[in-house]
Amino acid sequence: MAAEAAIGLVIGGSDWSESSRIVTLFTREWGKVRALAKGGRRLRSNFEIAFDLLTVCRVMVIRKSQSGLDLLTEARVEERFSVLRRRLAALYVGYYMAELLTEGTQEYDPHPALFDRAVAQLRALEQGMAPLQVASEFELAWLAELGYRPRVDACAVCGGRAEGEVLWSPSAAGMVCRHCRAEARGAVRLTSASWQWLQAQSSGQPAGNLTSWPADLRAALSLTVTHVLGRRPKMLRYVDGPS
Amino acid sequence: MAVTEQGVLGEVLQELARLPGIGPKSAERIAHFLLAGDRSRAKALADVLQRAVERIHQCRECFNLTDQELCPICQDPKRDGSVLCVVETPRDVSAFERIGRYRGRYHVLGGRLAPLENVGPERLTLDALLQRVQRGGVREVILATSPTLEGDGTALYVANLLRPTGVAITRLARGLPTGGSLELANPQMLADALEGRRTFH
Ligand SMILES: [Zn+2]
Ligand SMILES: [Zn+2]
Repeated sequence: MAAEAAIGLVIGGSDWSESSRIVTLFTREWGKVRALAKGGRRLRSNFEIAFDLLTVCRVMVIRKSQSGLDLLTEARVEERFSVLRRRLAALYVGYYMAELLTEGTQEYDPHPALFDRAVAQLRALEQGMAPLQVASEFELAWLAELGYRPRVDACAVCGGRAEGEVLWSPSAAGMVCRHCRAEARGAVRLTSASWQWLQAQSSGQPAGNLTSWPADLRAALSLTVTHVLGRRPKMLRYVDGPS
Repeated sequence: MAVTEQGVLGEVLQELARLPGIGPKSAERIAHFLLAGDRSRAKALADVLQRAVERIHQCRECFNLTDQELCPICQDPKRDGSVLCVVETPRDVSAFERIGRYRGRYHVLGGRLAPLENVGPERLTLDALLQRVQRGGVREVILATSPTLEGDGTALYVANLLRPTGVAITRLARGLPTGGSLELANPQMLADALEGRRTFH
């Protein structure tokens, strides 16, 4: 069987034997892929370092038709992010993105836009963007890709205009009006700064960098991700601190 | 190929096949080797494993494996207690001891920080490390976790933890393997080697 080329982000891995690893890649072409890298633990090999977590690499994969693992035959490092080795807060956000990519998608379910966004967010970390902003932007992109593009122009429940106090409903993945707030249990009250940032983000305009990361915005987004995933991502306690 | 033998032999094969690097074929070879002839090998192995399970535990001080309260390295008065080499596992201690060049002591973390695999700081021997350093007498801590993202993340965490104590913190150098050639070195090795360069005497 011929090997096929792909570019991917390493989002997981475990030792398979003394010399081999099983690597989980989020590829641009096929989405999440788990494949066996024989000799992937040999120290000093080019092959091995390509499979370090959160490395972008180009790979050749032999896809197995029936059950059995796909086989990685070649790997080359395309991009690495040194900030992850210098700042713990950045590393935690990197791990968090890996968790969302792992948990939110199926194997061989391609999401090229999400791959591009993950790489863009890692680059933003590298360029010094606040880790919580990187995380928040990625959460919005992840929600949108999974079909939960947050509603920010009108009430997510009744479609009516929302005036006055802005409430965010994690279960409705969007804002809710005064009349619907009773139905939207656990809604989070947003400040106008958070609200404006969300609106700018969803209209694709540069939202600017908030100077400090508001707790209300973090709560709104992380609770929405938790609702969509069906459980609280384990990296959140590192990203946001204990809750 | 799965283990198909029934009974006690099947159990032996199953246990052997669970060991790292041992597949069903090797398990079968080992089992038949042990059970052939007078079986003295099997008895010796069973006996030593039994004693190991009962007696080997973590060193009270450094968390290396030992059958005493303090491991031989922590007991040795000739080892320099002012330098601590922080490693992930007891196997890493063995690797350093084999080269025979290090005269300080160790601290075994018991793994690396891997929150995605549910290994948080509370699972490592970090409190004990901090207490060792706070007790005084330690002037340098060498971070010798693996050169992977998780290993580097662990080193970062330990460095942050120990920084307030004022102890000197160093990280193992990395880069070009001795005997390798510049041409064949991958770009990351060259970059690491350049970053870790030192004064030439
Ligand atoms: Zn409404
Ligand atoms: Zn000891």
